[in-house]
Amino acid sequence: MSPKYVGQRISRTEDPRLLTGQALFVDDVNIPGMLHAAFLRSDYAHARLNSIDVSAARSRPGVIAVYTAQDMGDAWQHGPPLVIPPPTIQNMVFHTRTQVPLVKDKVRLIGEPLAVVIAESRYIAEDALEDIIADLQPLEAVGDLERALRPGAPLVHEELGSNLAAHFFQEKGNYKSARQQADLVIQKRILIDRGIAAAMENRGIVAHWDPKSQRLTLWDTTQSPIPIRNGLAGMFGLAEHQVRVIAPFVGGGFGPKIMMFYAEEMVLTWATLQIGRPIKWIEDRRENFYATTQERGQVHDAEMALTSDGRILGVRDSFLHDTGAYDPYGLTIPLNTQCHVLGPYDVPNYYAETTVVFTNRMIATPVRGAGRPQGVFVVERLLDLAARKLDMDRVEIRKRNLLPPDVFPYNNQIIDQAFAPLVLDSGNYLPLLEQAATRIGYQPFIREEQPRLRAEGKHVGIGVVMFIETTGVGPYEGARVTVEASGRISVATGVGTQGQGHFTSFAQIVADQLGVNIRDVELVTGDTAEFHWGTGTFASRGAVVAANAIHAAARAVRGKILRLASKVLEAPEEELELADGQVRVADMPEKSISLGKLAVLANPLRGAVQPGTEPGLEATDYFGPQYGATAAGAHAMILEVDPETMMVEIKRYVAVEDCGTVLNPLILDGQVHGGVALGIGNSYYEKLVFDDNGQLLNASLADYLIAAATEVPRIEVGHGYTLSPLNPLGTKGAGEAGTLPVPALFAQALEDALADHRLEVVEMPLSPNRLFELLQAAQESASGR
Amino acid sequence: MKLQGEYLFDGPRERVWEMLRDPNALARALPGTQSLEKLSENEYQGQMHVRIGPVAGLFAGRVTISNEVPPESCTLAVDGKGSPGFATGSGDVVLTDQGDGTTRLQYEGEFQVGGKLAAVGQRMVDTVSKSIIRQGLESLNEALREGVTGAAELEPAAEPEAQPSTGYRPPTETRFAAAVAKDVVKDYAGDLMAPEHRAVWLTGLVAILAMLVGYALGRNAGHD
Repeated sequence: MSPKYVGQRISRTEDPRLLTGQALFVDDVNIPGMLHAAFLRSDYAHARLNSIDVSAARSRPGVIAVYTAQDMGDAWQHGPPLVIPPPTIQNMVFHTRTQVPLVKDKVRLIGEPLAVVIAESRYIAEDALEDIIADLQPLEAVGDLERALRPGAPLVHEELGSNLAAHFFQEKGNYKSARQQADLVIQKRILIDRGIAAAMENRGIVAHWDPKSQRLTLWDTTQSPIPIRNGLAGMFGLAEHQVRVIAPFVGGGFGPKIMMFYAEEMVLTWATLQIGRPIKWIEDRRENFYATTQERGQVHDAEMALTSDGRILGVRDSFLHDTGAYDPYGLTIPLNTQCHVLGPYDVPNYYAETTVVFTNRMIATPVRGAGRPQGVFVVERLLDLAARKLDMDRVEIRKRNLLPPDVFPYNNQIIDQAFAPLVLDSGNYLPLLEQAATRIGYQPFIREEQPRLRAEGKHVGIGVVMFIETTGVGPYEGARVTVEASGRISVATGVGTQGQGHFTSFAQIVADQLGVNIRDVELVTGDTAEFHWGTGTFASRGAVVAANAIHAAARAVRGKILRLASKVLEAPEEELELADGQVRVADMPEKSISLGKLAVLANPLRGAVQPGTEPGLEATDYFGPQYGATAAGAHAMILEVDPETMMVEIKRYVAVEDCGTVLNPLILDGQVHGGVALGIGNSYYEKLVFDDNGQLLNASLADYLIAAATEVPRIEVGHGYTLSPLNPLGTKGAGEAGTLPVPALFAQALEDALADHRLEVVEMPLSPNRLFELLQAAQESASGR
Repeated sequence: MKLQGEYLFDGPRERVWEMLRDPNALARALPGTQSLEKLSENEYQGQMHVRIGPVAGLFAGRVTISNEVPPESCTLAVDGKGSPGFATGSGDVVLTDQGDGTTRLQYEGEFQVGGKLAAVGQRMVDTVSKSIIRQGLESLNEALREGVTGAAELEPAAEPEAQPSTGYRPPTETRFAAAVAKDVVKDYAGDLMAPEHRAVWLTGLVAILAMLVGYALGRNAGHD
């Protein structure tokens, strides 16, 4: 059976609905009698809540209820820890502190919810927020990671006695002795700051407890409907089957919409259980800066030991990681950082040490990249700075250190976010690097074009970097595939969809297995009433874990079709083929039966049931990988800096990705483009700015700049195809890949563009203003020497 | 955030001091005031409705005065909260007799702002605060020149048409906001050309703290 759809550049079948406004988003859910919620949020990052008076708000006409932590009684509880730290890492310190539905005694992060108003309309609810008098006694706030660890710093959780959330280290080989043999040691302090995900659709929830049917339905912009269903059922004493969580179309997930058990999820569920009416809450844009998780803040002290010919002997990286006021997400982000410092390179000796710090900031959970861009930035920067010291070409130093193709599976020994040793399942890195360098025209550019442009007074630079991406972690996903009497195929899977094109790429897999038109495959995602085993859409795992589960279920249905058709058509299974919605005998096409008719026959009549008979052409199957599949890539760019305004224009951008089997190149291109756009934002535009009191100073899209069409260039995408041996489809994830290398690439190209200034970029994100400051500083230190 | 500035009054120091201690005069100079209440000799509480640009709401502030040396100087501590956020801080106000019948007012303080004020208004808080202070001081100076005393009632200022055609006319909320917005645009015009500021300029941004400074200046020392 040769694939007709998998691997094809097929337009997304869900797009007509999305583009004509016919797709259901949470805010489209309107139920008669529905109420609206608004949350009162703390203006302070750190404060004692002495008292809260909601009486005036309660008496405002149109207000149905106002709740505080006290009102929740025993239902007030901390959210569950979502990811525990890997038990396999020795000598680990980890203090679990998870978020609360409403502040009871102390505000620990700016925007933490103090009370909720439920009213006839959102307008009334918001007006009533102004009636609430919260007596907050401000406390000194802490946001700076180093200051947070000093004695005497304000404590986010007093009972811990410090702001240390976690500490652990991992070692491969022996870095200390490697360092002693080094010809060159590059040592740098590297800073990466916080940003948001800025999904086009903010978060939203409609919670509806129907007292008559005793059922709770929750429409939620979550990336993980099944864990949310199970968790809410547990929290509020309901049976899991009483709770249905629906994640309809979601306008971008990017990580923060994962199974957080956000305050709003807990509070709305509890509130509808009290009131017995549906309640809607839609996060507004400013609220998104305070109510939705963020990521990236880290401070690295990193060093790389090398030989004089540019071979890496070892890397040491000790870093602080900002987890915000709580750490429900465990160590996923810093583990990713540790693992991605190793990159596609042969690093024989590695020492990684991580200190996780509580601050009065929003909880940090994965944002597209999830700790990986930080790791990529560290190793790529160290390599660039080493190349500069050694007067070596940037592409050459990478070539010298790449893992060769014959070492896979390659065990990097340290534990990764999947709790297993970081084993790179497969890869062929050198062709990726060469393809990127060739496509961007690296050699001609540095030999001819750049000197010519420089002579014209232009500041142009080129960059080429590499990265790996661990993807497709377990535990598992599942799917159910059913042939309906109409001949159409329905597919249900537990993962939600936030714009990844699942309706198309998953349908391609099924259509190939069952020989039907892709238009005849109907997919349901993210509805626990349709499928209730699995975890969700995150960690670049959809095309690996969910796709292989769908593949497995489709194969099982194919088996059932062939068995039944073999009886009906009186021909051996090997002689049957599935095509055009029919099963036919390969060399006798007139001997055939449609899948619809076969499905009817598969639903046995009275008397036709024997022990073991399973009705229907339907199968449910699961896939759980042994460990994650590791993708890789190389990106290259040419940029120009205007030294007057410090504005940067990216002239060309090349992304070469190897994510194994490509299910749909068009969708993959889209993923890469989107990822690169965020990476560009992370490099030069998107940065949350806080003052010393933890006040967020740019909580609007007027001040927090997202890379837009004017900043994102046309992106050329190239491919490598190293199939993962860990799953039948041979796929690796690609959802986050585009983002990972961009800050490192941007830094390299920027340094190259400003080579005469001896600029050294060891922080991200930059901005025109910050670049100006760095150039001033570089100039001063040059003239001081 | 630091606030610092000075202003020259066309009147003798004693009269300026008197005026600054008169809450009614100040309330008229700073439109939107809904109440101004004396809690004790050195403590005032006021409420002001603020609606400039995207930030709107009722703001309640408390001002404490210390180190008072009439008619020379005092220290003000302000603590204000409301749906637009909060502002806290303190500052010194000094009046200097210029010897020519004019009086120089200098102020210097350190403030913290939070909530919507900080989040949405950060870019303009500095300019707007200075502008509000200047507008407020200018209308006070105008009142001073016209010889308006503090006896006038605190009530919403009527529209200009309803006022006598000559003499001191306290600014309306709209006129005041428009003048502030003009200053902001002037200050940021150059900045707006940069592509990174492609977003709209959020014209009127409130510097509540500036208004609170105004309140503080409006201390009523019981001369009524």
